[in-house]
Amino acid sequence: MNEPLSTDPIEPDDPERRQFLEKTVSIVLGGAMVSVPVGVGVAALLAPLSSDKGGRLKVRLASIEDLPSDGTPKLYQVVAERKDAWTKYANKPIGSVFLRKIDDSKVVAFNSSCPHAGCSVDINPDGSAFFCPCHASSFDFDGGAQGKSVSPRGLDELEVDSDLLDKGEIWVTFVKFKAGVADKVEV
Amino acid sequence: MRGLFNWLENRTGIGALTKEALFERVPGGARWRYVWGSTLTFAIMVQFITGVFLWMAYSPSASTAWESVYYIQNELSFGWILRGIHHWTAQIMVVLLVLHLVQVVIDSAYRAPREFNFWFGVILLFITLATSLTGYLLPWDQKGFWATKVATNLAGIVPVIGGDLQRVVIGGADYGHHTLTRFFALHAGILPAALIALIVVHIYLFRRHGITEAKPASRAGALYYWYLMAIGSVGLAWAAYLFRDSNPSWVLWIPSLLAVGVIVRIVFLHLHGKDDNSARRPKRDGMFWPDQIFRDAIVCFAVLGAVLFFVFWKGTELTPPADPSQPYNAARPDWYFMPLFLMLKFEPFQGQFGLVLGAIIVPGVLSSMLFMMPLIGLKKVGHWVNVVLLYVLIGGFVVLTVMAFKKDASDPAYIADVKKAHEQAERVDELIEFNDGIPPEGALSLLYSDPLTQGPRLFATNCASCHAYGYDDEGNALDGTNKKLSDKQSAPNLKGVGSREWISKVLTIDHYQSNKFFGNTKFKEGKMVEFLEESELEEEDVKGLAAALSSEANLKSQSDIDNKDTELITDGFEWMGEDELACVDCHKIKGEGGKKGPDLTAYMSRQWLVDFIGNPSHERFYGDDNDRMPNFLDAVSTEGDIKPGKLDQKRVELIVDWLRGEYPEKNVTN
Repeated sequence: MNEPLSTDPIEPDDPERRQFLEKTVSIVLGGAMVSVPVGVGVAALLAPLSSDKGGRLKVRLASIEDLPSDGTPKLYQVVAERKDAWTKYANKPIGSVFLRKIDDSKVVAFNSSCPHAGCSVDINPDGSAFFCPCHASSFDFDGGAQGKSVSPRGLDELEVDSDLLDKGEIWVTFVKFKAGVADKVEV
Repeated sequence: MRGLFNWLENRTGIGALTKEALFERVPGGARWRYVWGSTLTFAIMVQFITGVFLWMAYSPSASTAWESVYYIQNELSFGWILRGIHHWTAQIMVVLLVLHLVQVVIDSAYRAPREFNFWFGVILLFITLATSLTGYLLPWDQKGFWATKVATNLAGIVPVIGGDLQRVVIGGADYGHHTLTRFFALHAGILPAALIALIVVHIYLFRRHGITEAKPASRAGALYYWYLMAIGSVGLAWAAYLFRDSNPSWVLWIPSLLAVGVIVRIVFLHLHGKDDNSARRPKRDGMFWPDQIFRDAIVCFAVLGAVLFFVFWKGTELTPPADPSQPYNAARPDWYFMPLFLMLKFEPFQGQFGLVLGAIIVPGVLSSMLFMMPLIGLKKVGHWVNVVLLYVLIGGFVVLTVMAFKKDASDPAYIADVKKAHEQAERVDELIEFNDGIPPEGALSLLYSDPLTQGPRLFATNCASCHAYGYDDEGNALDGTNKKLSDKQSAPNLKGVGSREWISKVLTIDHYQSNKFFGNTKFKEGKMVEFLEESELEEEDVKGLAAALSSEANLKSQSDIDNKDTELITDGFEWMGEDELACVDCHKIKGEGGKKGPDLTAYMSRQWLVDFIGNPSHERFYGDDNDRMPNFLDAVSTEGDIKPGKLDQKRVELIVDWLRGEYPEKNVTN
């Protein structure tokens, strides 16, 4: 608190020096006090950068006899216990997987998310190939990109546990990959 | 660089604008007393910044508002500081508003031609208070919920339009999703937009008329301010003295030292100050930049320091999630509404008209007087009327606030309620931790399926009219009722039910016949008493029998000793069937024995207790001998009639789990 009778610490006959000091102090304090709320806010904003990745998740999707023998792919929903910020869901859908039976000892699994931009891949109307409705990427049933497909890579194959497959159970390690790049990069 | 600047300047005029903003002449030189407007601008800027970041994490709905604030407070990195700054800046803003108002009035800066600027200022004051009020609800915790309920009910008594007004404000007949979405839109949209618009006008008008030059520095002028500061600091020290018990000692020391310093300065001024007529020096005009901004920056920095001090010292409270069915006696409005809160308890404000008088007319008249100040202050006398009125208002505000807090601080019921609220808040945190997250239905559902929370409540409502659940050292009931040890209790004390200690007491005639067990029931003179009298059980016998019987209960708290004392327990079971006067003569034990007394198979286990509470008159338990205890679940009487129960399965289970101590606890490792 000031009172009018106090003497200035700086000589009044040196206004430039006084002003320089005032300007410096104002700018330093001003910068400091704006950076506190902004800094704290930005730190909170960037919190997702240090949060955990989705991670790999091994799930049982079907039994071998559930899949058609003619090799037609079938879509399965992946449901898992997941925490979304504060909410804990016992059964939260986190993605879906195409399963395709080659024979009783071999099943292939594809993440249904399109490697182009992440839309959900479907099977085309004549049932001959995978087809993405967003940008018309198409993939053959082995997952490879077809013809002039815009996708930079084929569908992402997921690992099927071969030991459990021998017992007739299809367990898949569900992983998500980065869209839009030529390499399979886990996210 | 120069070229780029000129290019930009020619197209935007930004340089000229900055110059205009910064190089404002301050007549009579920069003064510390001019800083309050700038501190408010700074505070609002802080609120906007932190508010927008909080917005990114907040979710306004009845099942996510509390939960998202919980997340901000406890899990989001830096979230608690962010919320803390927002909360405490809001508190300090109220103080700054008052200081700004005082400065404007005592410097008569409201006089012509500045009336409009004053009026805009008063409107800004009310918008700021409205922003605080709407923000108070947003965490959707018990405190905000109940305070807002009171505030909106007060809006509901406004003559003629009140009912409709209330419905519109809360978004329906009941408080819920739409109350939150509406309050949020007000708090983060409409009110801040209005604030910005009015601040622009306020600052435009301020610049148009220029600063009101305060009187030149003189001893009298200086003394005036020092006396004000003396009153303020002595008042602060006095308040700190009144609440010395609930604060660390430095809370008392700092304002006391401040007051002493101010008084010393006043004495010094009286002794050495220069003569009144010769102002020290007719100050040269100053410039806004850097002369005034320098002072503004220092005080704004101090304001931020004070905010951070409170953020780290006091933290930011989040009371348990809002529960309309669970009264929250510790509910209070934000501190600056406490005078109004207290005032409504006074006698002139009783009854329907009294409420309208206290909640609408009196604040309305006071606000009108505030608005009238520029007109009253046209004459010098009017100005002094204004100054006195303002001091009386502030004095009344302070006295009422202190009274309100003092009243709470000396009210044991309020203190107990605050303690209970804190315990419950901690319990919610624990439950969220145990559950590793909050269920989609919201945090309240955790409390509703928690035996530790619900057990005492259900017990208080349904059981405590006959039973007790122990007492603390001062003789207050432990079940959440207000019962005292001396109150007559007509059925057994159920604390520790099924434990060895509890069963030992049932097997000891003095306890059995005391008022704490069966003393006020017809079992005081029953076959069990005959048995206890004739068998003359030794302490050792009781110990073994209790250990055996208690092992049937399978209590979590006794699992260690149940596993350890296998020999004692086996012996105990043997004694039950061996003696001349055997337990099995009347009771079934492990499925075999008499049917005169209650079946003791799995005695006091979860299922046994649920079945017992469900229907004590069942032949498995008391049968026709039952003394007054009702069936709490639907039951069929011996005549074949259906007797509806008072409770449902889930609630009986909650009571049983609470009685048996079957709930997650922090220090118990799973």
